[in-house]
Amino acid sequence: MKHIQIRKYILFGGGILIGALIPLVVTSSYWLHVFAMAYFYGLLAATWSFLDGYAGQFSFGNIALLLIAGYTSALLAKFTGLPFFLNLIIGVIASTLIGLIIGLLCLRFKGAYLALFTIAFAEGFRIIINTEHQITRGPAGLHADGFFETTSQVPYYYLIFIILVISIFIMYRILKSRWGLFFMAIREDDEVASALGVNIVRYKVIAFVVTSAFCGVAGVFYTHFNQMLTPNFGEIATMGLVIGMAIIGGVENLIAATIGGILLEFGLESLRELGAWRMVAFGAILMIVVRFARNGLIAPLYRKFIGEEV
Amino acid sequence: MHGLEYLFMQAANGLVIGCLYALMALGLTLIFSVLKVINFAHGEFYMIGGYMSYFLVTVIGGVNPFVGVIFGMVVLLVLGSTFDYLFLRPMHRGDVDRPDEYAILVTFGLSFFLQNLVLAVAGPFPHRTPSFMEGGVRVGTFMISADRLIAAGLALVLMFALLMFIKLSWTGMAMRAVSQDRDAASVTGINPLRMANFTFALGAALAGASGALIAPIFSVVPDVGVLPSLRSFIIVVLGGMGSIKGAILGGIIIGLVESLGAAFVPDISRALAYRSLYGLMIFVLVLLFRPRGLFGEAQ
Repeated sequence: MKHIQIRKYILFGGGILIGALIPLVVTSSYWLHVFAMAYFYGLLAATWSFLDGYAGQFSFGNIALLLIAGYTSALLAKFTGLPFFLNLIIGVIASTLIGLIIGLLCLRFKGAYLALFTIAFAEGFRIIINTEHQITRGPAGLHADGFFETTSQVPYYYLIFIILVISIFIMYRILKSRWGLFFMAIREDDEVASALGVNIVRYKVIAFVVTSAFCGVAGVFYTHFNQMLTPNFGEIATMGLVIGMAIIGGVENLIAATIGGILLEFGLESLRELGAWRMVAFGAILMIVVRFARNGLIAPLYRKFIGEEV
Repeated sequence: MHGLEYLFMQAANGLVIGCLYALMALGLTLIFSVLKVINFAHGEFYMIGGYMSYFLVTVIGGVNPFVGVIFGMVVLLVLGSTFDYLFLRPMHRGDVDRPDEYAILVTFGLSFFLQNLVLAVAGPFPHRTPSFMEGGVRVGTFMISADRLIAAGLALVLMFALLMFIKLSWTGMAMRAVSQDRDAASVTGINPLRMANFTFALGAALAGASGALIAPIFSVVPDVGVLPSLRSFIIVVLGGMGSIKGAILGGIIIGLVESLGAAFVPDISRALAYRSLYGLMIFVLVLLFRPRGLFGEAQ
């Protein structure tokens, strides 16, 4: 037990230390941008792992929830004089509330029905954003202010890095608490969980709401980091990327899914000259991992090094 | 513009396009009824059907567009059968944890793979297969193109042939047996694995046929299958998962709702964009208030 704790401190502490030192070594603003996007995808993969890998709810709605927070924040900035920080908070609240509503509506769905419902929700939302271009500027994209006055990527790097570390820490603590056990009990068999006294209605909704809140956080970051929001980002393909990252990392292990997101986004950006073939390879790897290594590629390494499942 | 005539025209268009929707949804519901799998790659099967027809008729050339449709179906029979053998068979055998999630992941992975493969090979530009026949049928001041009528007619013929096949042939009977009770079917000497494989291939071929039939009407691009696949989900949920008559009726209903719904929005560009939103609204309502759809069995 003691050794497990020490190894965890080494892994997490080492990760945070390396992350904090990277801008000292990497000075190219292009690569800092790539790192920032990699952390962003790491966070998204973690939200998907949280919802599907632990709570067993297969959703295609994470990116749409992200866009809800982003558009709320950017539109408030455009049409009202509210302080910047308040826009961000209202954005996250908006995605959390929509997540609560979807979570409540979807309680009765089993298996693939939640996936179908969330795909319909995501596409419907995207169609509305695309069409109501007088408000949202449609496919042309909505401009949003940056977080910082400077054009340097360093503050953005640290911002998303801190967001990532704090978010993962909170999700990790939740999953390590009794809630996490309830999530997993529901995932394995909700009737048995219910018979054992787990309030399945409550914990299914809680899982959805927590995920939506973190999608919202990722959304306001993305919006004011890229300073441009387009409905294209909400295409199912983006969701496929996030799901693939979580699965290839190891969906039933929050940390492995996060690392999967970071490494894969980094890899995809580094291989940019391969164009569409990168995604062909990504799709092929996803299918092979699902078929032959259901626990993902990074989760087994984690187990070997730490000596414990997450 | 004559209001009534316009509505009549939209209804006729809706019926025609609804037949093609129904054909594709029929493939999806067939797969669900026998394999208990929702095929998230159905839109990509549709897309591949269109591309295969384009490939044979335009790139290779010298071939009648009707042969292109058959070619698309054959390619998808092979693709569907191979995919089922490699990726779905372990699930039918019960070797997979959380099979519902496995099925979504592996079919969704296939959809991601195929879409990007076609993008990498054929590029993002739209392609169009040549017409089955030039011209069209004039009704008052409006015209329905011959291509649409032929595509809808062929879709009806295919659906009828499929219904007869399922009702009368030994294989069709075996498929129905497996869909009702896998274990009981295997006791009577039916091989459920082989039936699953055949059904998946057949369902894929139906999606391919509808893609190939639409290829002369709308151009094909790598992500052309996304909306049709969503539409098939809507139709199949509306008609009832696994119900064949539900898929046919649902297809025609959605075709009509989209065409007539578009007629009620005055702004043209908005009308086109919101066409698919009507279907999504029906979908959400059905899921919430009648999850078994029109003809589905209670879960």
